[in-house]
Amino acid sequence: MRIFDPHIHMTSRTTDDYENMRAAGVRAVVEPAFWLGQPRTGPTSFIDYFDSLIGWERFRAAQFGISHNCAIALNPKEANDPRCAEVLDVLPRYLGKNGVVAVGEIGYDSMTGAEDDAFTRQLALAVERSLPVLVHTPHRDKRVGTRRSLDVVRESGIDPGAVLVDHLNEVTARMVADSGCWMGFSIYPETKMDEHRMVAVLKEYGTARILVNSAADWGRSDPLKTHQVGLAMLAAGFSDADVDRVLWHNPVEFYGRSGHLLLGTEHGTGAAAALYEGNSVLRGQS
Amino acid sequence: MSSFDLGYGTNGFANHRLHDAVRVIADLGYTAVGLTLDHHHLDPFAPDLARATERLAALLSSLGLRCVVETGARYLLDPSRKHHPTLVSEAAGRRVDFLRRSVRIAESLDAGCVSFWSGVGEPGVSGQTNRRRLVRHLEPVVAEAQRRGVRLALEPEPGMVVERLDEALDLRRALGEPDPLGITLDVGHCVAVEPVDAAECVRRAGRLLFNVQLDDMLPGVHEHLEFGRGALDLAGTLAALDGIGYRGVAAVELPRHSHAAPQVASEALAALRRARKGTAGRSVGARRCPGTVPEEGTPARDPRQDDRLTAAERRVRERPSAIHEEYPLAGRAPARPAGIDPDSLVRGTADDRARTRLLSVLAEVLPEGQLERETERLYRHGDDAERRGVLRALPVLPASVTRLGLTLVEDGLRSNDPRLVAAAMGPFAAAHLDQPAWRQGVLKCLFIGVPLAAVAGLGRRTDSELLRMARDLAEERRAAGRDIEPDLRALLGTAVPPAPPPPPRGEDDSR
Repeated sequence: MRIFDPHIHMTSRTTDDYENMRAAGVRAVVEPAFWLGQPRTGPTSFIDYFDSLIGWERFRAAQFGISHNCAIALNPKEANDPRCAEVLDVLPRYLGKNGVVAVGEIGYDSMTGAEDDAFTRQLALAVERSLPVLVHTPHRDKRVGTRRSLDVVRESGIDPGAVLVDHLNEVTARMVADSGCWMGFSIYPETKMDEHRMVAVLKEYGTARILVNSAADWGRSDPLKTHQVGLAMLAAGFSDADVDRVLWHNPVEFYGRSGHLLLGTEHGTGAAAALYEGNSVLRGQS
Repeated sequence: MSSFDLGYGTNGFANHRLHDAVRVIADLGYTAVGLTLDHHHLDPFAPDLARATERLAALLSSLGLRCVVETGARYLLDPSRKHHPTLVSEAAGRRVDFLRRSVRIAESLDAGCVSFWSGVGEPGVSGQTNRRRLVRHLEPVVAEAQRRGVRLALEPEPGMVVERLDEALDLRRALGEPDPLGITLDVGHCVAVEPVDAAECVRRAGRLLFNVQLDDMLPGVHEHLEFGRGALDLAGTLAALDGIGYRGVAAVELPRHSHAAPQVASEALAALRRARKGTAGRSVGARRCPGTVPEEGTPARDPRQDDRLTAAERRVRERPSAIHEEYPLAGRAPARPAGIDPDSLVRGTADDRARTRLLSVLAEVLPEGQLERETERLYRHGDDAERRGVLRALPVLPASVTRLGLTLVEDGLRSNDPRLVAAAMGPFAAAHLDQPAWRQGVLKCLFIGVPLAAVAGLGRRTDSELLRMARDLAEERRAAGRDIEPDLRALLGTAVPPAPPPPPRGEDDSR
């Protein structure tokens, strides 16, 4: 089973996770920029974070044979903090880089005016740079929030085929399917979706334009959930090709639109592993 | 945890500012106040009533005090005629309006009840007419109480139309035994005018006993005396309250002792504690209702902690910049014992209260602009507990800090820390946060497991849009095959008042 996790926050995970992911078949990931759990106090915190997404984290993943790509954005929650909003001016310098495959996560948290502004500006940026976008749908008031996100996406003029609307569930899937956007589902141990409900969604909607992710971060989450969805699909009678389509081809097709997708950079994991600015995560050798 | 809360009536602190009185009462160790609404104590006819009520609610909450609303002020309605008009006056409009206002205030304060008496019959008016007037004038008050989920407690008062307990119970029957209507017993009055002793009156009132006033009296003489000066069997009366499982407020009623209030209140509490010694040791299990503030006593104060805090307050008063040393140190306070609010999400922690006191002192000694700046520093440089302390203290800070307060509340609501979110949704948010942000806050509480009892003004600010959001959430839960938590279920059962809630008074409506 080849797996591409199209939404995972590896900055919050350990090397054990990378080892287990690789063993379960994960070969590529996209790490969208989001908040740290702890509020940032200004744009420089974002710059350090973005730099680590295109630098240290990519290096760390590579040492376990996983291609690490990222999406860059000001997240919806911190769009409300005036101390952070000026990071919007810094985004363009990241959006042309290799491995930066989308603008994201953008969208709504509490559906405020400040969120509207950041959402609209970043959609415009994506149109200008011909990049796909990753739209986070809010946890609270999800149905209304998803509807409003789709309206804003439509008004931006972006090609719906370049938009992934994420964290969907049974209540919000239909409107996104009808919009022509890609449908993202996050599989969590307790909240959001689980693998069996996911299989039911795949049976209803088919395997086209659907992405499945673990959205694993610093909270209770499991980076192997994509693998478990693959197993649940097989158990439910889906073919190997169906699984490969959902877990590999779909994310490659979607993020491949950027022209920046890095795949197949398989570093050795032995003593020949490279160093990142003189440092290695493999310990015992430097 | 005690079975009922000992309090002190603010009408015995007539020469104190209300907030000073409340603080003194709390500092002495009482866990409740009997709040007599009066022209100088939360004037129910003042233009800034809503704000004043929110501030008082915050103070009570920060001190862990329960309260009941008393309506016996002497010259509130008519400056020339004591107590006039009453429920037995022919034209009782102003009294009815006052009692309905009291009900609304009680709702905002989460008060245990509104206590009231009947009134002295006018000369030449028959008993039957008086009773008819009482029933007629009470109906709109009872309806208001029913609508707002507030309890009413009728107090038999010597010399009035309803003078004894059996007359009060008769009147209740005449009104059709409405659920919200119960009894206030002044145990001194029992000595003065009842045919049986106070303990027996307590037992006769039984489950209808909503409110208790404590004082001593001599038979036949309506004069409120300190304990031990009259004929009351205090220990026996308190034991009777425990005996019927009374869990409301029992507040000392000494309205003619204001000149020496702190001393009198201190001695009264000592007498009550001595009298309870023989009867203590029983504790009544508390029942938890979703969406309501749990009934709970406040744990005993730690005197060493009080001393430390008083010293810290003095240092801040002398040198305001000391706040930056003293404020973090207030976190050394011992944690609250686990009870029915084990995570202190509803009422906050002891160190929250300590920090509120330090910030109140700071507000007294710093000019406005500087207060705002230092408050922001305390929050921005604070750890999670220090931030929570600032959020909990916002309601007692002056209006000059309101704009900053909104920024900080919004910051707290963006976090995923239940204690911060709970603190952010307190009385300050109820008063100032705009409606969309407030609704998001309520939903966030549901998401991260903050009991809705922590949301101040929930009943008042719930609107049809919040219920729509709650219904959608329930639908998502059902679609996912997940449980619907009790608080969400309770919220879905809320009836929304027909009129939309007034727009928030917050200055910052930019979102």
